[in-house]
Formats: sequence, structure tokens, C-alpha cells
Amino acid sequence: MPIEKAYIILSIALFLIGLLGVIIRKNLITVLVSTEIMLNGVNLSLVAVDSWLGKVDGQVFSLFVITVAAAEVAVGLGLVVAIFRLKGYEGSSELTHLRD
Amino acid sequence: MEWIILGVLGFWLVASALGAVFVRNPVHSILFFLSSVIAISALFLSLGAELLAGLQLIIYAVAIVVFYVLVITTIPWEKVKRFEGIYKRELALSLPVLLVSLLAMGYMVYKGGLAEPVNLVKDNVRDLGKTLFTSYLFPFEVASVILLVAMIGAILLGRKEE
Repeated sequence: MPIEKAYIILSIALFLIGLLGVIIRKNLITVLVSTEIMLNGVNLSLVAVDSWLGKVDGQVFSLFVITVAAAEVAVGLGLVVAIFRLKGYEGSSELTHLRD
Repeated sequence: MEWIILGVLGFWLVASALGAVFVRNPVHSILFFLSSVIAISALFLSLGAELLAGLQLIIYAVAIVVFYVLVITTIPWEKVKRFEGIYKRELALSLPVLLVSLLAMGYMVYKGGLAEPVNLVKDNVRDLGKTLFTSYLFPFEVASVILLVAMIGAILLGRKEE
């Protein structure tokens, strides 16, 4: 088995850990941290496949993923602070205004 | 030797990611996330992607983590206390599903084939820059527009209403 397959399995595990965090955490800020873990897992698999193929296109894509992650953190944390300022809570179970 | 490096760094990475998901305090969770970012940067170095390892450290470990910590300091701490920890029922429901999918995808990766290697990159940073500014020039410009829009959006969201 080439070592890149082990890297890909590791990145799948990292992505699923992040998904678990998105599902089970109560605090909105830690939900965003779990999203970052998912994006890191995707980056790891892109770079691993790139190292197997001997090209650099995956690393360019990984660069774009880092860019989108930075933008997502800026807007997401702005939303969390705005929700907290408007409503005074930030638990993911109490944001049910669209459902009710 | 490669396998030893992968084993140590992979164990460090999975342990710190699990800590970031399961620990109660948000600040401790962000510190665990910082540890996992450093582990991923070391994995990038061992894969031969030097530029991305540096960028990972600069953008994630410096910019994003500091941003999270700053936002946590602006929120009153005693109100956050009510929403620490995890949902127990969702954990019991989702953990078997995710474990089964991890096993299935890992088996598929283990049994499946990889594409044939094309060529070998000699100088990582030079090739990456050349590819980024020739083949991917238009997505690069679009990424700059995305960053600009995100900056304006963050300013609008964080502004106080008058």
C-alpha cells in the first residue's frame, strides 16, 4: 500500500471528526471550529493526492480552500456576535425562529 | 521512516482534533485546534508541500486562531456557560453512523487504485507559483473578490446599530 492511501484515510477520519463536532457541539463558536477541522481534512487529502501524482494543481486548490476558510471565519464569527448581541444567547438549540 | 513520521503526526492530529470536539471549554477547544493545525503543517512538510505548510501556519495558526480568541473575549463569559458541552443524544445517534462510514470509505480507499503518477515536481514553490499565475489566474482573481466581499460583510455585521 502506498503511503498516500494512509494519508487519505487519515484525512477522511479528520473530516468525519469535524462533522461529528458540527452535529454535537452546543456552542456556536465551537461549531465553527469543527468546520475548520473539516476544511483541514479536505486540504490534507488534496495535498496527499498531489504528492502521489507529482503535480501542483491540488495545492493550488488547497490554497483556495484556505482563502475561503478565512472568509468563512470572518463572516461566521460576525454572525455569531450579531446573534449574541440581538438575542443574548448563542446555543445552537435555541435558534429556532425560522422553524417556529 | 515515512511511516513512523506519519504514525506520530497522525496520532497527534487525531488526538487533538478529538480534543477540540469533545472538551467543554471553548478556549481549550481552540487551543486543541491550534495543536491540530501545527500537526497538519508538519504533515504538509513531510508530503513535500513547503509553501502550503508555511501558509497553513501563517493563516490558520496566527490569523484565524487569534480571531477566535478575540471574539471569545468580547462575549460575556457567564452567559456562555449555559451552552458548554455536547448533546448526548445526538452523540449516541451520530457516532455509529460516522464510524460505519469511516470504515466503509477507508476500505474503499484501501482496496481501490490510484491514478498513475505523471511527473515529479522538483521545486515546489516555483512550480506552484507558475501554475497559480498561469492556469489558475482567473480563480485567483475571483478569490481576491471573495476576500473583499467577506471583509465588507464582516464590517457590516459587526457594526453597532444606531
